[in-house]
Amino acid sequence: MKARYGMAIDLDRCTGCGACMVACASENNVPRLPKATERTGITPMLVHPVSDGKTGVAFIPMPCMQCEDETPCVKVCPQQAVELDRATGIVMQMPQRCLGCRYCMTACPYHSRYFNWWDPAWPAGMERTLNPGVAVRMRGVVEKCNMCHARLHAAEDKAAEAGKRQIEAADYVPACVESCPTGAIRFGDLNDGASEVAKASRTPEAFRLLARLGTEPKIYYTSKRAWVRALAERHPAGEPSQPAAPVAAGGGEVKHG
Amino acid sequence: MKMPRTSIFFGFGVLTALAAGWLVFPRALYERREQPFRFPHKTHAEKSGTSACNDCHTLGKDGEFAGIPKTKDCATCHADRMGSSPAEALLVDNYVKRGRETPWLVYSRQPANVRFSHAIHTRLAGMTCRDCHGAEGESDAVPVYEQNRISGYSRDIWGHSISRLRRAPGDGMKMSDCENCHRRHGVDAGCLGCHE
Amino acid sequence: MIPTRRDLFAWGGGLAGGMLFTPVPWKVLDDVSIWSQNWPWIPQPARGPVEEKLSSCTLCPNACGMRVRMAAGSPVGLSGMAGHPVSRGALCPLGFGAHQLNWHPSRLRNPLHRGRKTSWEEATAAFRKALGEGPIAIIDGRTGRAASTVLERFAAAHGATYAAARTAEEKALGPYQRWTGVPTSSLGYDLENARTIVSFGAPLLDGWATPGRFTRLWSERAAGSSNPALRLIQVEPVQSRTAAFAWRWVNVRMGSESALASALARVLMEERLVTARGPMPSESVNELAGKTGLAAETIQSLARALVERGPVVAISAGDNPSVAALNVVLGAVGARGGILRRGGGTKSPVPVEALSGRMRAVLIDSTVPWEVRPNVDAEVFRFAAWHGGTTTADWLLPAPGFLEALTDVPTPPASAIETYAVATPLMAAEGSKDAARFLAEIDPAAGSLEDAIKARCEAIYHAGKGGLIGPEPQPVKGLASADKLYEALGNGAVWTGEAGTPGGLRCDLKEWPGPSAMESPAGWTDGWTAPVLPPLAAKLYRESDLRQAPARSDV
Repeated sequence: MKARYGMAIDLDRCTGCGACMVACASENNVPRLPKATERTGITPMLVHPVSDGKTGVAFIPMPCMQCEDETPCVKVCPQQAVELDRATGIVMQMPQRCLGCRYCMTACPYHSRYFNWWDPAWPAGMERTLNPGVAVRMRGVVEKCNMCHARLHAAEDKAAEAGKRQIEAADYVPACVESCPTGAIRFGDLNDGASEVAKASRTPEAFRLLARLGTEPKIYYTSKRAWVRALAERHPAGEPSQPAAPVAAGGGEVKHG
Repeated sequence: MKMPRTSIFFGFGVLTALAAGWLVFPRALYERREQPFRFPHKTHAEKSGTSACNDCHTLGKDGEFAGIPKTKDCATCHADRMGSSPAEALLVDNYVKRGRETPWLVYSRQPANVRFSHAIHTRLAGMTCRDCHGAEGESDAVPVYEQNRISGYSRDIWGHSISRLRRAPGDGMKMSDCENCHRRHGVDAGCLGCHE
Repeated sequence: MIPTRRDLFAWGGGLAGGMLFTPVPWKVLDDVSIWSQNWPWIPQPARGPVEEKLSSCTLCPNACGMRVRMAAGSPVGLSGMAGHPVSRGALCPLGFGAHQLNWHPSRLRNPLHRGRKTSWEEATAAFRKALGEGPIAIIDGRTGRAASTVLERFAAAHGATYAAARTAEEKALGPYQRWTGVPTSSLGYDLENARTIVSFGAPLLDGWATPGRFTRLWSERAAGSSNPALRLIQVEPVQSRTAAFAWRWVNVRMGSESALASALARVLMEERLVTARGPMPSESVNELAGKTGLAAETIQSLARALVERGPVVAISAGDNPSVAALNVVLGAVGARGGILRRGGGTKSPVPVEALSGRMRAVLIDSTVPWEVRPNVDAEVFRFAAWHGGTTTADWLLPAPGFLEALTDVPTPPASAIETYAVATPLMAAEGSKDAARFLAEIDPAAGSLEDAIKARCEAIYHAGKGGLIGPEPQPVKGLASADKLYEALGNGAVWTGEAGTPGGLRCDLKEWPGPSAMESPAGWTDGWTAPVLPPLAAKLYRESDLRQAPARSDV
């Protein structure tokens, strides 16, 4: 059976502690370069603070949205360095194949892709802490969240050892999901109707960022707060705000408050 | 008819190139490196009764393939010298007694972004060790490691035939070899299946 | 035949043409492209079998249970230990990068004397000399450890003062210790049974005590609900992240937390919302309200909200007797859902703040936060694994880093349940020495860490209470010997005693306490004894603005 791995992130539970970012960077051997800035640093998982201008505060953890259809980065890549994996639904970036044109970064509506402006480096000795499951990227290539697929591989190996083709759901949990102290990030197979993430994606509180673009992201967000849900379709200044009705997973309309 | 002098020299040039390219180049490209000591698979299979590959090259419960055994595994038998072979003396004196790992040169070493699951190939696809590794388990000594001077990888990755035309099964471990076998068996792993 | 220039060109042309029919250009192209994908200067992870060990985080006293993924002899990844009774499978954001700390550029590798490299022998000689001249003080950062026993025993044998630095959570429990005589290390909040929690600036969602404990509880019982099962009321002058996600945020004037607590107590007693009777704050509600910047009506409705759904407990950010007195009025001391007395705990030593004047020398353990500087004029021997910048210490002595030395992990502050764990060294600590070993070398009578941990195991084993959580959960009674307990703890099991029970803690106020000084708000790094942040945490926080005020709107 084919899986479609996705997340449902409860924005009412995210306190913005940043554990997911650190756990992600540690898992994926993201270097720490003092010269990297907010614009040039690599943060496959990035938590954005937002506010309603009064006392309402929310934090939006943003990994790669794992677009299902018309995946913008896949469409534009001249190198086939990124592909939508049909067996898992993971949009898989292969930095070793990337030639660094950064077309995908322009195409990505979520700014979820990062360019390696420098060769990775660690303080002397710290390379010993690198995760052996993940290859280190080099200067000049683009990378992004691959849904910790090294963990998927480990889960597949474990299942295969037991003679099974299906992995145990508990064996494949991305680092950000595992690290969340409030359990805000739920992860699982969207094709499995009984999974927590599939259920969460069908609630009226569920929404996806920029759903009007039709990229069908597999990262869902949920919030009981109308102003948070309204952020999903915010139109930049100057763009006419079309009366597009964002469609929730269940086919129902998302109510904007 | 007399051949033009230019053609003779041209033809001579072609011959030089062919000779250099097919005969000299393959030898020059690889640096022959000896393994730390001779390891006879055959003797081990005969004397210790460990005829199954995975007695030593274990596949863990979590599906992780252990690869070459560690020194402490060797030490379960070779804590002290058992025979008179110089290879064993090297193992015991240099590695077991000093608690160091043997720096084996690994023929199958791939770049870090390549993932190969022994568990999936042997447990699910029903392949045997011999399908890829040949009769290595019956050899009397491990082969010489030939290291590519440019890429740094073993000759076994490209395969022993420089033309890659007539090759024994299991010779060559390039991405196209993986792909061809997968295609023959109708298994689509995508990029994600084999790359980290 | 002599080849002409023309012949040479023909030969060259043939050579070039012929080359195309050899493997040379194609193979070289292939090899060069492979080489170019694997620049030799790019570090690659070590290859080796991956194994997982259980341990406890030792960077602060909050004792989070950890799973450590090890490859080629180094930790390569950390995650929370599911089922841990206090941390409940969570780690703080800093904890996830802690395994990188041992290679932090600020790591101390050599003993330093006033910035100059020196040797352990010189440091030992200097300390011996100071010890002979006296008086000296030994400062511990985390009491109740095996190392504390060694430090304390050494201090007792040599007439030295044994003092301790306390975390904000321990300070907040200080008034109850003064009023009931029960040491703070035996007190904990019964958060799991509370239904209303009023926090006076305590960063409950942002690194208060063992982070997983409250964040998980909040997530299960409060998050996203307008009528939560657990009401969190945050009193704070700024909209911290805890305030932002609290059920109610009470925006008070800076430093007026004591006034608000007093005003609430006065309303509770005047309106007979509580049964408690006792000394009242001397100021009227209106006077107190004026200090807080809130209307008296707001305070009255807040008081009613407090008792609407009990049990209720108040938590302060630091030593705030007014908040403690409010708990007495609310009947939360010694009650279910309030402040409980639990097993274990040790007599509180002299607080480091009480040290003053002239001393010959002060020895500071590596568990003491870098910012803590005793107010004494003395020769300072400071143990630390990392150099934290400005220091007045004469001697900087390199202590073992993260997971480099054997240490035990007693019950974290504010926990309602007694726990005990042991963190075994997973890596070699080159050239470093902890204070306990340093002192035991000077006077072997102070004892060794191993013996002190074994003694603790003996005590737990003979008491026969509680059980082990971890790879093989079982009750202590099921273990064959104390050595088995020691062994299991070394493999990452966590001993969990019995939870504190209501009663056994009585507290009567003689007079209403005066206002206390404002405590600066603490956070993840409070009690974090490493003076540096894990490199990843420092970098990512900067890039995400998470540590700035969240009132920014920008997706």
